[in-house]
Amino acid sequence: MISDETLMAYADGEADAATRAQVEAAMQEDPEVGRRIARHRALREAMRGVGASVLDELVPERLIAAARGRAPAAGNVVDLSRARDAAIRKGPGFSRGWQPAAMAASLLVGLALGYLGWHGSGALIQANSNGGLVAGAALAEALSTQLSEERSPARAATAGLSFRAKTGDYCRTFALAGAEASSGLACHEAKGWSIKVLAQSPSEGSPTQFRTAGSELSPAIRAAIEGSIEGEPLDHAAEVAARQAGWSAPPAH
Amino acid sequence: MSTNESVENVQDQIVALLPRLRRFARNLARDPHDADDVVQIAVERALTRLDQWRSDARLDSWLFKIVRNAWIDEVRARGRRAKIFLPEEAGEQVGAALMEREIDRLSTEAALARLPEDQRVAVGLVLVEGLSYKDAADVLEVPIGTLTSRLARGREALQGMLRLPEGEPG
Repeated sequence: MISDETLMAYADGEADAATRAQVEAAMQEDPEVGRRIARHRALREAMRGVGASVLDELVPERLIAAARGRAPAAGNVVDLSRARDAAIRKGPGFSRGWQPAAMAASLLVGLALGYLGWHGSGALIQANSNGGLVAGAALAEALSTQLSEERSPARAATAGLSFRAKTGDYCRTFALAGAEASSGLACHEAKGWSIKVLAQSPSEGSPTQFRTAGSELSPAIRAAIEGSIEGEPLDHAAEVAARQAGWSAPPAH
Repeated sequence: MSTNESVENVQDQIVALLPRLRRFARNLARDPHDADDVVQIAVERALTRLDQWRSDARLDSWLFKIVRNAWIDEVRARGRRAKIFLPEEAGEQVGAALMEREIDRLSTEAALARLPEDQRVAVGLVLVEGLSYKDAADVLEVPIGTLTSRLARGREALQGMLRLPEGEPG
């Protein structure tokens, strides 16, 4: 019986010539040996894409400065993210191009429920007793306190764009970092932040969850915004005012 | 490393490696902010020690080792080892049925995150970062047998979590 470690080394191309010969001889005699090697190779293949989304993220300026042996100027990171957000706001998708599209928010909750499976941490997403999704403590805090311009990719939960929905509620996009990167849309209702859409961030070769929070929203989130937005996204002053008011819906006008 | 030009050249290479260093650090630290802090510390440290890097050695392995040591220092210094292990009361709110579904859907990343640190880092270096067993053992400063045993245990646990297709022999 050949040990599993030997077969693993063979599958990884790490076995020496003598071991390779031994494994290949064993494969002739016992098809199970080949199957075990195939399992090792399948896992190797599956793990290759892990963390690919991290590779696509913008590298924080402070790290580039460190690699170049420069101490970053105070406030550098903030300035850059502001510049980036300003660029995002001016981008074509966020100015006047939005047309309302009919899409029922309740359908999107159903879609989101399907994704709950890969959300481990109750601090970010929780199911309520009605089967809907609500923000956990950490996400609720991000949504209630972060301004769009303060967006930092270093956080577990990052609030993005804010807008008024036709219902009168304030809604915000958000991005969740980490192993289960995803982005979504939450609206502040009577009982707090209710999740309207949740989409797993695409990994390899796709925009990161942080860019998803602003410039490259997933189609499901974009459609939900287009279907529910009243007017334009909030600007900085309006966002500060909304935060001040605890994101409570102002009286209809 | 004597001329400015070659230092700049290495700095360029380090900048190019930053995305992979961040990925590796996130495997170690899990928290993205901690991970970037560790990368920053490691990169600053690496620049002061360029004379210790043998240019025949892989720059990535050398930097991975510095990242790992920076993380170990960080954990010790802040005395917050408990923070490495995120609470895993996943699905507490959602009941057993969803728990079952969660396991079905467990992504490779979520599965990796559940491994004990030793195994997680061994798998990360070999299967994610693509290092040889020898380079990975060097990064971790352990004998190669220790590395392969952690790798084998980690893979066995992953197989159990992921339910990969069987694949064809050969």
